[in-house]
Amino acid sequence: MRPVTDTTAPVATERGTSPRQPITQTIRIRLREPARARNIELVLLLLAIVVAVGAIVLVQLGVNGRTDDGMILLASLPPALALLIHVALRVVARDADPFLVPIGTALNGLGIAMIYRIGLADGAEGWDNSGVRQIVWTLLAMVAALATILVLRNHRVLLRYRFIAMFVGIGLLLLPMLPFFEAVNGARVWIQIGPFNFQPGELAKIALAVFFAGYLVTARDSLSLVGRRVLGLRLPRARDLGPILVVFAASMAVLVFQRDLGTSLLYFGLFLVMIYVATGRASWIVLGLVLFFGGAIVASQTLEYVNGRFTAWLSPFDPALYDERGGSYQLVQGLFGLGNGGLVGSGLGEGRPDLTPLAESDYIMSAMGEELGLVGVFAILALYLLMVSRGFRIGFTGQDDFGRLLGVGLSFVIALQVFIVIGGVTRVIPLTGLTTPFLAAGGSSLLANWIIVAILLRLSDSVRSAPRLVVE
Amino acid sequence: MSELTLLVLRLAFLAVLWLFVFAVVYALRTDLFGQRTRRMPQEQAAAASPFPTAQAAPEPVVPAARPAPAAAAPPRNSSAPGAPSDARRLVITSGAKEGMELELSTDQLTIGRSGESGLVIRDDYTSTHHARLMHWDTGWVIQDLDSTNGTYLDGQRVVLPTPVPLNTPVKIGTTTFELRR
Repeated sequence: MRPVTDTTAPVATERGTSPRQPITQTIRIRLREPARARNIELVLLLLAIVVAVGAIVLVQLGVNGRTDDGMILLASLPPALALLIHVALRVVARDADPFLVPIGTALNGLGIAMIYRIGLADGAEGWDNSGVRQIVWTLLAMVAALATILVLRNHRVLLRYRFIAMFVGIGLLLLPMLPFFEAVNGARVWIQIGPFNFQPGELAKIALAVFFAGYLVTARDSLSLVGRRVLGLRLPRARDLGPILVVFAASMAVLVFQRDLGTSLLYFGLFLVMIYVATGRASWIVLGLVLFFGGAIVASQTLEYVNGRFTAWLSPFDPALYDERGGSYQLVQGLFGLGNGGLVGSGLGEGRPDLTPLAESDYIMSAMGEELGLVGVFAILALYLLMVSRGFRIGFTGQDDFGRLLGVGLSFVIALQVFIVIGGVTRVIPLTGLTTPFLAAGGSSLLANWIIVAILLRLSDSVRSAPRLVVE
Repeated sequence: MSELTLLVLRLAFLAVLWLFVFAVVYALRTDLFGQRTRRMPQEQAAAASPFPTAQAAPEPVVPAARPAPAAAAPPRNSSAPGAPSDARRLVITSGAKEGMELELSTDQLTIGRSGESGLVIRDDYTSTHHARLMHWDTGWVIQDLDSTNGTYLDGQRVVLPTPVPLNTPVKIGTTTFELRR
């Protein structure tokens, strides 16, 4: 570029405006900037696709010793759809967070490979193989995410529907209680329509997060400012305790009637964190934890299945408990699998993760630990950590309070769910049945988590186009 | 497929998995979420009144590159071309958010009352789209977008796009800011 001596005139001419003319006539206020976020996303997405497709190829080499082109083609459909989401984001949400879609694609691909691998070990081919069904569910979930991104142009619209969200959430939670749906493994959280199992509680968590965010935005002043100090904690007024008691009662009802510890813990934890983020008062956490642990202790004494989970957690290697029906067999098999994996694992398709019951859903993490080893498990946990940290970051930098609460709530749901499941499998906490986000077999879980990703993408797009500094 | 190939492949897979993790972390490092503002410590904020000495302003970016005497020299005619300013920060020196600073990238920064602006100034004297700072080859240039109450560079109303030297007050409404290295 030639040297410019006069700072104003030549540069102005270069831009096609006469230096003497008022420049205001020719400016365009909104300039299109290069979509830097999207370019990062593309690079990461290509890497994620290598991970997803590589996992399937390795599974086939490990199990059969040869590759099956049809299956590889089928397994490349979700990555292809992820690329389509990427293109859609380039058009409608250029500044959305570039990390969520690649991380989701990689985790989902790993999950598909492992589920397919366990199906192969059971001798299932084609549609019988739950890996194939998982691919179909993934495609559906990604289409739902795409639709969410395209339809939901502004997340503040959700604020308007907060009470509808509440009724939808409660309705979805109660749906499996209807008499014509049967309990599966003791828990009434499934509905069966034709060949499909569906867990409506997974979708309920989105609806409830929307409702909690909407409710707390309007109610947080009374929840945070008034109350009297006791022992350094500002306790809320008795009349403000209503909502937390309602949510507590609902989660206890899930525990008692649906016999599902994990879901109950998930919803109560979600509400607790959102009320803490909205009010910034530790007394809510103290209050909530006291309530929950009180409830859990009472439940462990009175409800037989909760009690069984506790004893299996505390002494899984007791031979009597190991052989007992519904005892610690599954937990111990999972631990043996993890131990067998060691540092780098047995390699995809070369271990025996199928020995653990439900290895494709609740115990997918122990299957991963067996075949990918500690190194692989930590990589997966790092991916979850990065995804959740992005979600918190989106919540942190959000402009409106509703968006901030929603972002924090939705990403905390993923974090809590990962903690509950993996903590249960690795015997950190008592085992509770929940799906591992993106990894475990289950259409409803995939659907819910991809929709969460879509909402977070929308939130992050509005964050980035916001002003950098406001003076008022 | 031999045992060895399989071993190499499965270790390679773990390597790719971690490569992906590190690629995300690397991109996170470079792509900090937008530009962040931070508040200067109180005494430095006080020192940052209209014409600070170069030493008073914290210079985390390039401590060696002090503003050249020509650039730091006070009053200038706003229509005369100033020294090229490779400012990295915009510091608010008076007004409601005194002491706040904003890191400048090479993108333009729009200033105004509208929420779409990069720097939103909400007071009675600021227009919706008031002014913009552009990074030209020679440095930062301020352009008044036909605002009602005007943009003042060092006390002179800005009519044409004018280079903004370092440490020179730009006044918009009740807010004054300076560009710093």
